[in-house]
Amino acid sequence: MIAQLRKLVLGDTWTLPLGVAVTLLAGLALDAAGPGWWHRAGGFVVLGGALATLAASLRRR
Amino acid sequence: MTAFLLTLVGAALAVGLELLEAMAIVLAVAAERGRRDAMIGAAGAVGLLALAGFVIGPVVLARIPLEPLQVVVGVALLLFGLEWLRKGVLRLAGRRAPSSSLAEYLEERAALHALEPPPPDGPDWAARIVAGKGVLLEGLEVVLIVAALGAGAEGLAPALLGTAVAVIAVIAIGVVVHRPLARLPESHLKYAVGVVLSAFGVFFLAEGLGVEWPGGDAGLLYIGAALVAASQVEVLTLAREAPA
Repeated sequence: MIAQLRKLVLGDTWTLPLGVAVTLLAGLALDAAGPGWWHRAGGFVVLGGALATLAASLRRR
Repeated sequence: MTAFLLTLVGAALAVGLELLEAMAIVLAVAAERGRRDAMIGAAGAVGLLALAGFVIGPVVLARIPLEPLQVVVGVALLLFGLEWLRKGVLRLAGRRAPSSSLAEYLEERAALHALEPPPPDGPDWAARIVAGKGVLLEGLEVVLIVAALGAGAEGLAPALLGTAVAVIAVIAIGVVVHRPLARLPESHLKYAVGVVLSAFGVFFLAEGLGVEWPGGDAGLLYIGAALVAASQVEVLTLAREAPA
């Protein structure tokens, strides 16, 4: 049951939670640093992180 | 309006597909072990899910300030969405068995058939536990997805409306089960849910990190388009690499 709950929240592979965590940490760091472009274009960095995470999870199965 | 419609469609598809899987398990238990114990197990799980929904929604999410809430919800939706999308890509590329609630129903019946028969008098705990666990695990994902989608700017209304549509559709399918289940393109629908949940995840996470999307809610459309384009490239690549 615990294993199934872990799988439910984190999925079948560790690549996804790791990739999402890296995207989140990069976003938090950039938000804190506050470069001028982040407010307008930071979403595309998050989108890039999500796409890279998906690609990595499909390579490592 | 874009966010409202996408939330409604996303919730309806996600909830409908999860409910179909839960229904497949409950119907299998009912067919093999008896309707009464299957319904008791399912009802117990629904009670626990209502409690979980209350704790996650009004108690936890309602107390978090907007920006941290958007980050929490964005991360949760990304985790769910990317997992649905990953499996969807693998299924469409022929690298994973297609999703089928009918196959799950038949497998569950075969597994239950191998168990000892229920006691002639007294409760059938095996049946209750199998039905309850199935509903609980599938339902927990429903609760988390609806709570996350409902935490957006549009509020709970579109997520709950989508849930209601899904419940009605699944009950309608349940009444005439078998053939409609076999005809549902479940793999494609799950892929679509992956795109919608991931798009909301990216959108909310970026907003929580202080980003303003060009075009506002319309950002969901180009995020979704980017996810479809990138994942379709992955489908084609993986299908080409697939062993003959």
